[in-house]
Amino acid sequence: MSDDVRIGVFVCHCGLNIAGVVDVEAVTEYARTLPGVVYATHNRYTCSDPGQDEIRKAIKEHNLNRVVIAACSPRMHEFTFRRTISEAGLNPYLLEMANIREQCSWCHPSMPREATEKAKELIKMAVAKARLLRPLEPIEVPVTNKAMVLGGGIAGISAALDLADMGFKVYLVEKKESIGGHMAQLDKTFPTLDCSICIEGPKMVDVARHPNIEIISFADVLSVEGYIGNFKVRIRKNPRYVIEENCTGCGECRDVCPIEYPNEWDMNMGVRKAISIPFEQAVPLVYTINRDYCIECYKCVEACGERQAIDFSQEPEEIELKVGTIIVATGYDIYLPEEGNIYGYGKYSNVITSLEFERLILAAGPTGGEVIRASDGKRPKVVAFILCVGSRDVNKHPYCSGFCCMYTLKHAIQLKEHYGDDVEVYIFYMDIRSNFKGYEEFYTRAREMGVIFIRGRVSQIIETPEKNLIIRAEDTLLGEPIELEAEMVVLATAAVPAKGSEEISRILNINRGSNGFFMESHPKLKPIDTAVDGIFLAGACQGPKDIPYSVSQGSGAAARAATILSKPSVKIEPIIAVVDPDKCRNTKVKCGICATKCPYGAIVAEEGKPARVRVAMCHGCGTCVAECPADAITQMHFTDAQIFAQIRAALEENPEDKIIGFCCNWCAYSGADLAGTSRLEYPPNLRIIRVMCSGRVDRDFVLEAFRRGAGMVLIGACHLPYDCHYIDGNWKMTERMKALAKMLEKLGLTPDRFRVEYISAAEGVKFANVIREMAEKMKKIGKERIKAENAKLKPFLDRMLSRKGI
Amino acid sequence: MRISRTETDEELIVERTLYTRRYLLVLDKKRCIRCEICQITCPKEAIEVTVAERNSEEKYLSISIDEEKCSFCGICSAICPMGAITLKINEEETIPVLEKESFPKLIHEIKIDYSKCPIDCNECQEACPFNLIDIHKDKKKKIVKIDVDAAHCPGCRLCELKCPEGAISVKKIFFGVIRIEKEKCPEGCHSCVDVCPVPDVLKIADDGKVEVNDYCCIYCGACKVACPVPEALILKRTVIMHTPVQSGAWNSALEKLTSAKELSKELAAKRMMKAIDAVKRRVG
Repeated sequence: MSDDVRIGVFVCHCGLNIAGVVDVEAVTEYARTLPGVVYATHNRYTCSDPGQDEIRKAIKEHNLNRVVIAACSPRMHEFTFRRTISEAGLNPYLLEMANIREQCSWCHPSMPREATEKAKELIKMAVAKARLLRPLEPIEVPVTNKAMVLGGGIAGISAALDLADMGFKVYLVEKKESIGGHMAQLDKTFPTLDCSICIEGPKMVDVARHPNIEIISFADVLSVEGYIGNFKVRIRKNPRYVIEENCTGCGECRDVCPIEYPNEWDMNMGVRKAISIPFEQAVPLVYTINRDYCIECYKCVEACGERQAIDFSQEPEEIELKVGTIIVATGYDIYLPEEGNIYGYGKYSNVITSLEFERLILAAGPTGGEVIRASDGKRPKVVAFILCVGSRDVNKHPYCSGFCCMYTLKHAIQLKEHYGDDVEVYIFYMDIRSNFKGYEEFYTRAREMGVIFIRGRVSQIIETPEKNLIIRAEDTLLGEPIELEAEMVVLATAAVPAKGSEEISRILNINRGSNGFFMESHPKLKPIDTAVDGIFLAGACQGPKDIPYSVSQGSGAAARAATILSKPSVKIEPIIAVVDPDKCRNTKVKCGICATKCPYGAIVAEEGKPARVRVAMCHGCGTCVAECPADAITQMHFTDAQIFAQIRAALEENPEDKIIGFCCNWCAYSGADLAGTSRLEYPPNLRIIRVMCSGRVDRDFVLEAFRRGAGMVLIGACHLPYDCHYIDGNWKMTERMKALAKMLEKLGLTPDRFRVEYISAAEGVKFANVIREMAEKMKKIGKERIKAENAKLKPFLDRMLSRKGI
Repeated sequence: MRISRTETDEELIVERTLYTRRYLLVLDKKRCIRCEICQITCPKEAIEVTVAERNSEEKYLSISIDEEKCSFCGICSAICPMGAITLKINEEETIPVLEKESFPKLIHEIKIDYSKCPIDCNECQEACPFNLIDIHKDKKKKIVKIDVDAAHCPGCRLCELKCPEGAISVKKIFFGVIRIEKEKCPEGCHSCVDVCPVPDVLKIADDGKVEVNDYCCIYCGACKVACPVPEALILKRTVIMHTPVQSGAWNSALEKLTSAKELSKELAAKRMMKAIDAVKRRVG
């Protein structure tokens, strides 16, 4: 077979992104010398139409049967190039990419010579693997043409309505009692000042009435299993103690209930009854008893009478949904600066947050729309708004929360509209960000209405005996300190990831960025997709967004979901595990290790029979492959032979200078990409070998690397305990490597030379730091010592790997 | 929202302040006898009465309210025989459970026939252990007027007992049984005597054990909280005088204060009344 291998190598300039650092001509020249390579070329943009054309042409002209593309990260364009070569008649899995942009030119800009050498080796590794690539056929699975939308705010509502209108069944799952989200809490919307609930309310009703939408409210998602087209979701419906079908929403029960408790919907400023709805327009219009407060007088039961809607014996109910796609629209929370009493919040009664102000100025709010002070119930004559509280603050949240400028302008205008010259309005700002349609005009309007803008961060607020607030700040435009006595201070606090985001990210296996919001698959080109196929994002769960942006994203996510739901089947990657029945020990002894280690229970090992992989359940992590004591299991596209070939290629020259890094596709490899995207420079010693999951990293890989003289070995995995994209592959790897590290140490390996690190996709900085540290240590240990240690190890390793026969 | 608890020598105050609503539950420590009634009745188990020691000789009881558990329903205020607890919402005294008829009122019934009162008699005023009686005399007109603060009267009947003319009649609020199991009552212990709010109901007898005079007992259960030996002191409430009500919260309070048996009796009586009403309606 190896005689037949005809590899074509395509080196991309990526404009100057690669060619500005790496000598692409030299690299191409070098590629031509590699065994199996029959054609090599370079072009300005391989991913462009002419670039792809060139590949297709070369495949035909040179009768290529393998393609190596040295360009950006495979996470970026692997899919594009697979399509390109399949258009030219090649099996799409006969492609290998060498990541010479994110993991080479971008992270070594000041060392062009070393970067060029590294690029050559990365291509050599890719070519080595490419020689062993086998054609694979994608596995086709049927699609359940139903969707689940998680979160019933305006983004979730938009997504659900669009999908339902396209004819798909949608389950809209909401944690709270009613859908509506934050938008239903707001008074007016900027910049048009139309009433928020008046425009959202009808949409909420549309959702309730739509024959294709089923609202599952007051419910929690417990677990999600499966894969694109075939998700199984377990949901717990929390007891309302009111039977949904029987409740007419009349409210007679509420009228007789003696108990009041703080209404979270009103930011705990007002109260609701122990049996009640959070707000009048709630959808579904079903009452809920809060048993934390209820005294069980059963007056509600009496009032409900023949309708018999109240049932104190209700228990949580678990249901299972089968859906093809999931749209996550879990929104945001408002940061409450209680901790540390920032600007006196929580300590001074007349310092409130903007969302609290929203409830104050809202006619249906606890004060009936009167803006009054908590301390004395009087209308404030001087109101000061402070922007960027907790946002754009390196000590709290470094990001800009986006919509605070605009809603503060809205509040200022509303105050002026309500009370005219009776109220003085000040806004302390850093920058006013009004960069969408109609927003700048809105800003102008506020200025014309007499709102006073002071540019500068507030340093301190002091309460006077009259409960007024003295604000101290620096006016950076005048360059002098100022002091202002206000009667009410409103803090525009940061938008933060919704409570429970962490749990959702664990359940769905989707990433969160460093700020805690969910991470999109690509910041520019896949802003709605997650790294998990079939799961999409909409609205502020991905980052703070205003209403029009959330609505557009909801519709966008619906369209993305429809691309899957509209087809009867979907193709999934054939990178599954395959058992060689002849090698499997389970036929002779009771083994079954693979079955116990598989995170998905996808392997069956019946006594006396070889283990069997249930194809549709296999997620392709490769943990079983690494665990199999008889090397009887192979992971397609990531075979032992392929990875061994990569290791050997990487260590052919000066192995003791090299760090071999086995990085999982989802976290550490993405972290490395991010280090490159962020242009974080680190030493060029690293050679990354991509695996889908750290669970795939066989002990033998590490042994082989050291046998071939590697200076250091790094395993990069997702964070423990829950970040693994294959449930717990990282745990399996951790256990395995702990034992291995001990053994290697006993055999005389300096412990620093073998390292396991947990690096998330958001931790580019950490990734770069780890490599810097390792390179530093490697220098300290010294080439001679490494060589001596390796020489001492070699006989043991030779023996241990002899059974491998590769 | 702010939830807090403050305590002074006079008062224990639990507070919940929202932007527009302020809830204050005020326990008057001077009136509170640290009995078990509110502790038993509180549906949120927010109240706790515990035994403390002033010194090895003298026991006393102390009361605390958990501000995090309190739901400001006012049941404690409604059930306190001493009227020691008030609930204020936005500075206005109110008891939500009474307003919504989720809980009954206790009946404090005191009748005085002034015409029988001798002009120079102060017996009742002196007898009242809670200082609830005020006597106004018009010596010229030989008229005696007696003010009794009935809302704070637990109905111990000491005044009735001491009145030489039989002018006062007081109805108890709680009826029941109190008994000392002599063989279990530890000699030399006087915890129950120390904490009993009514003089002479509990006494140390000649044998060193406790003796009960249940005529004036108000069945508050303070003695039961203080008694260190299980079942040495038996206290059972059988009847509670209250205004009629239909409420699960009351049924559960009644069951806890008395027993399941007494509850079923009251429910049976209610059913009977309902049946009679129904018959009357039908017959016309």
